[in-house]
Amino acid sequence: MRPVMTFALMTLRSLLRRRTIWGISIVILIALVGIGQVPGYGVSNQGRFMLDFGLFGLEIGTLLLAIGLASNIYPRDRERKTVMPIIAVPLSRGQYLMGRFVGAALVQAAAMLAGCLGLMVILMLNEHAIPPDLFPATGLLIVEGWFLLAVVFFFSFWTSPPLNAPLTILLFIVSQMSVSGFVGLLPTAPGIMRTLRLLLPHMDVFHIKDPIAHGMDVPGLYFLLAMVYGLSYMVFMLAVALAVFRKRDLK
Amino acid sequence: MRNVLTFAAILLISACRTDYDIEEVATAEFLGQDHVHADSCETCGEETTEVEHDHPEGEHVHDPAGSDRHIHEAGVRNHGTEWFFNQPWAADFIWGKMVRDSVILVLLATGLIILSGYRRKNR
Amino acid sequence: MEDCPLQVTHLGKVFRRRLGLSSFKAVDSVDFRMSGGEIMGFLGPNGAGKTTTIKCILGLLKPFSGSITLWGEHPGSAKVRRRIGYVPENPDYEDLFTPLELLTMFASMRRLDTGRDRMMAILSRVGLSSWETVRLKNFSKGMRQRVSLALALQSEPDLLIMDEPTGGLDPTARKEFRDIILEENERGASVFLSSHLLSEVETVCRRAVILARGKKVVEGDMEELLRTEDRYSIRYRLAHGGIEEEKEVEVGEESLQSSIDDLRSRGVFIIRIAPVYRSLEDVFLSATGGGGE
Repeated sequence: MRPVMTFALMTLRSLLRRRTIWGISIVILIALVGIGQVPGYGVSNQGRFMLDFGLFGLEIGTLLLAIGLASNIYPRDRERKTVMPIIAVPLSRGQYLMGRFVGAALVQAAAMLAGCLGLMVILMLNEHAIPPDLFPATGLLIVEGWFLLAVVFFFSFWTSPPLNAPLTILLFIVSQMSVSGFVGLLPTAPGIMRTLRLLLPHMDVFHIKDPIAHGMDVPGLYFLLAMVYGLSYMVFMLAVALAVFRKRDLK
Repeated sequence: MRNVLTFAAILLISACRTDYDIEEVATAEFLGQDHVHADSCETCGEETTEVEHDHPEGEHVHDPAGSDRHIHEAGVRNHGTEWFFNQPWAADFIWGKMVRDSVILVLLATGLIILSGYRRKNR
Repeated sequence: MEDCPLQVTHLGKVFRRRLGLSSFKAVDSVDFRMSGGEIMGFLGPNGAGKTTTIKCILGLLKPFSGSITLWGEHPGSAKVRRRIGYVPENPDYEDLFTPLELLTMFASMRRLDTGRDRMMAILSRVGLSSWETVRLKNFSKGMRQRVSLALALQSEPDLLIMDEPTGGLDPTARKEFRDIILEENERGASVFLSSHLLSEVETVCRRAVILARGKKVVEGDMEELLRTEDRYSIRYRLAHGGIEEEKEVEVGEESLQSSIDDLRSRGVFIIRIAPVYRSLEDVFLSATGGGGE
């Protein structure tokens, strides 16, 4: 565990020292300021819009963060050959992947929490109530971000960074479609589309901005189950990524 | 051996049914399809000229202004809100599937980690 | 197996090009064996397959054929990795870190003592004691090589694998590197040194393997490799007219005895008789056909 945690901290420090993370932070900050300017058609509607836009921003933010943080980690290590002395000596491939993943996941979680706190501040400044489900909803979005990180790592082991981003975004979009909606993309081959949809994740489980914005209670059990589902899919994606990485020759 | 495994995996996947589609697997009660179009409102017995959905008692009140419109309680499934309620958070009958899938995914991940580790060790 | 840190048997590596339509054989049935405590030179022109072989030894590449064992174990296993130090060709670590940070983190990853004094001692050994807080992005190629050496040395490895370690170094630094290699060997470490600098290999290595076009063309003790088969030099002192003069003559093995008898009969004082050695460059050029791919 110690080698993985040390490497994770090394990844964390490396990400924080790069400019990418600060660029993303500035975008989040601008988005929050923008949300603070949402006009209200009545006080309750303004709070609802702020929550709706805020949570939508966090959803998109978690996708962009995952791509921004992780799509270039392994390609950069491979291109600069940094990966070789690390894998040749102190770490196994599994430890390398876990260290890189945990480091990026810590940054992702911290950024999402900062976004959630920012949204809270905006709501408070505009004298709106903070729904108690905002915290578990952010937790769910963090899990979603970790799952996306695992997806980005998986893509990064067999494709280039310019392809990684569109592939991840495509997965993000189609994984939120219902089965019938997905089959509707190619109605002539419903069997294939259904099988394909079965293999894709159900990312719609992470999205609960609608009930929160409308002040509805989401049962705690749902948050728990959705988090377990997200974490399980994340573990699966990491296992697939590791299987690909273990097969790769490091030329 | 690898081809046999791949073929078996494809067969297995093809045999699985996609059962996440809320519209496909939800009960008629959840979807509100037991609501028949009626010419009168059961809540108040008032005759209406427009064709509209029937709703259980207490879910709506008539517009106090006296128009044909009626107002629903917040959080209640009603006209055009299928998109809102046909989501996993509102459909507790698919929550069990999340647990089922989680178990399958963790088992698959464990198998994959062991298999890829074994292959790497023996290469 | 403890006396055999590295055994390579019929190693082959084929790289497939796009879509597997063509392939390139980088290493072809190479085998050699290292003994414990040995310094082995690994030579070859560009594209001979040296780095590919090293990557197979480290488990970074999957051999196409043959096998590699380190102390009888599979390359890349945790047990083996703990005992290895690796100095890569053109090392490029995360340049946002300082050498002290890198050394501390690598030590932690290897479950070693991370005390600052120990780290500073290693940095001082490779000549970076006053650079410990400067980020690597400000370092020259030679200084990065020193960082790489420090990382390899920190675990006191049983086998030091070095791929062109002195590539970007000035002569003084090269001498320091050579001294460190010899010190490590004295400590008991085996050293596998791949280098283009033949003089360096000639100075420090006791055995050498030469590759050309992916195949092993020469293997042997340095003494055997450099020694010509049947040539000897005779150094003698000649006195005539009160003046003493030293001379040297090179003779074949078949005429060695008659030459000695002849010199003695002339009253010449023989100072030394020694086999004639070639330079490693001569050995290299004759073995590899005089050039690269």
